[in-house]
Amino acid sequence: MSLHIRLQALGNARDTLLRQPIATALTIIALAVVFALPVGLFTALSNLQQLLASWHNQAQISLYLHDDASPQAVAQLRRQLQQSPGVVAVRFVDKNRALADFQRYAGMTAAIQTLGENPLPASLIVELNPLAQSPSSLEAQVQQWSHEPIVRSAQSDLKWVARLQAIVALGTRAVYILAILLALGAVLVMGNTIRLHIEQRRDEIEISSLVGATKSFIRRPFLYQGLIQGILAGFLAWLIVAIAFAILQGPVNHLASLYGTSFPLHALTVGEGFLLVLISAALGWLGSLVAVGRHLNNTVS
Amino acid sequence: MIEFINVTKHYPGRRHVLRELNLQLGKGEMALLTGPSGAGKSTLLKLLTRLEAVSHGTLRVAGVDLATLRRRHIPAYRRRVGVVFQDHKLLMDRTVYANVALTLQVAGMSARQLDHRVRAALDKVGLGEHWREFPETLSGGEQQRVGIARAIVHTPEILLADEPTGNLDPELSSEILDMFRDFYRHGTTVLVATHDQGQVDRMGVRTLHLAHGQLQEKA
Repeated sequence: MSLHIRLQALGNARDTLLRQPIATALTIIALAVVFALPVGLFTALSNLQQLLASWHNQAQISLYLHDDASPQAVAQLRRQLQQSPGVVAVRFVDKNRALADFQRYAGMTAAIQTLGENPLPASLIVELNPLAQSPSSLEAQVQQWSHEPIVRSAQSDLKWVARLQAIVALGTRAVYILAILLALGAVLVMGNTIRLHIEQRRDEIEISSLVGATKSFIRRPFLYQGLIQGILAGFLAWLIVAIAFAILQGPVNHLASLYGTSFPLHALTVGEGFLLVLISAALGWLGSLVAVGRHLNNTVS
Repeated sequence: MIEFINVTKHYPGRRHVLRELNLQLGKGEMALLTGPSGAGKSTLLKLLTRLEAVSHGTLRVAGVDLATLRRRHIPAYRRRVGVVFQDHKLLMDRTVYANVALTLQVAGMSARQLDHRVRAALDKVGLGEHWREFPETLSGGEQQRVGIARAIVHTPEILLADEPTGNLDPELSSEILDMFRDFYRHGTTVLVATHDQGQVDRMGVRTLHLAHGQLQEKA
C-alpha cells in the first residue's frame, strides 16, 4: 500500500472533520469526558493506595520471645523477617525497654515494682505494608512466625487490614466496571458519529464505488477520522485530569496539614498520559471500525 | 469486447426484465441502446457495471466473466470501464478538478501523477478553464461534461452512458453525443442508452432496440 494513498485518506479525514468544526469539537469533548472520568478515578485510587501504603507503622505484629532466646537466634529471626514479603521494618525491643515503655504508657510503675523481677518478654515488632499481601496470606505468615522456636506468642490485629483491603478492592472493582462501561460508551459515541458521517457522505461513497474504489479505500478515511478524534480526545482527557488534580491539590494540602502531614497528589505521569492517548486512539478507531463494518455494506454497491 | 449469451435478469417476485438476451459488441465499436422507459436499458447497463448480477446466462466484458466475478474483484473491473449517468452524479462540495481526479485517486495515483491526466480530460471536454469551479456554478451541459471527463480520464476500454442527454436541450445533446462518437473513433468501445430518437437518427451508428426484455438490431 503506497504511502500517498494513506496520506490522501488522512487528508480526506482531516478535511471532513474541519468542514464541521463544532460537531467535531463536541464529539472530541464528549469522548474526553468519557475517558477522563475513569482515568481520574484510577489516578485517585492510585493516590489512595500510596497513602495507605505509607501507613505501615499502623500495621504491626508483635512476636514475643522466650526469655532464654539467644542473641544469635534473635538476630537470625530478625534477618529472616526482614526478607519476608510486605515487611517494611523489624524492630527489637528487649525486656528492659518493654518494661520502660509499659511504665511510661500504662502508668503502672508501683504495681510493676511489687513484682520484683521484670515479667515482660523481649519482642520483635514487625511493621508491614497493609496492602502488600492478602489478609489470608498475612494470617498464614503470622502463624508461621509464631511457630518459630524462640517465639512464645504472636499478637496482631489484622482485622482492620482486611477491612482496608476490602474497601480498596471494592473501589478498584467499581472503577474497572465504570471504565469498561465508559469505554463501551466511547465506542458507541464514535460509532454513531461515524455512522452520521457515512450517511452524510453517501453520494461520495456511491460514486467512489462506481468508479472502482475498493472497500478499504472507502473505509480508510472513516477509520482515520475515528483515530484522529480518539487521539485528540485522549490528550484533552489528560489535560482535564491534570487540571482537576491541580485544583484538588490545595484542599488536600489543607486537609493533610490538619493531620500534621503532607500529601502531594500525583496526576498522570508522561508514560501514563501517552498510554491514555493510545487507548483513546484505539477506542476511536474501534468505534469507527464497528460503524463502518455495520453501515458501509449497505452503502457500497 | 462485450458479449451477452442468453442473459436473463429477473428480480424476486417480479417479471423478467431481460430474457435470454444475446449481444456482441466488438472492440472499438459504438452502439446506441434505445427502447421505451422501463424496457430494461438501465438494468442492462447495471449488469455491465456489475451493480447487478445476471440471473442466468453468460456476460463477458473485456475477457471478464461478470456472472462469476467475485465481489473483491469488482473494483478492479470497474476501473477498466467509464460510466456516465443521466443525473451526472457529481460531488457538489468538490471542485470540477477533484471530481475528475477521483477516478484516478481510487486507482492509487498520486496527486502529481494524476494532474496532467485530469487537465487533459478537462481540456478534451472543453472545461479546461473551469477546473477550480464547483459543479453547482456550472450549467447542466457543463456538469454532464464533467461527468464525461471523470469517465474518460483513466482511458477506459469501455465507455457506458445511461441517458447522458436526458436533461439537456437538443443542441447540447448533439454536442455530448458527438463527444462519445469521438471517443469511439479513438478506439474506445461505447454503449449509450438513449430514448432520443432524433439523436439516434442523426448519429448513424449501430442501434439496438430493447423491448419486452429482448434486443432487436435496427437498421
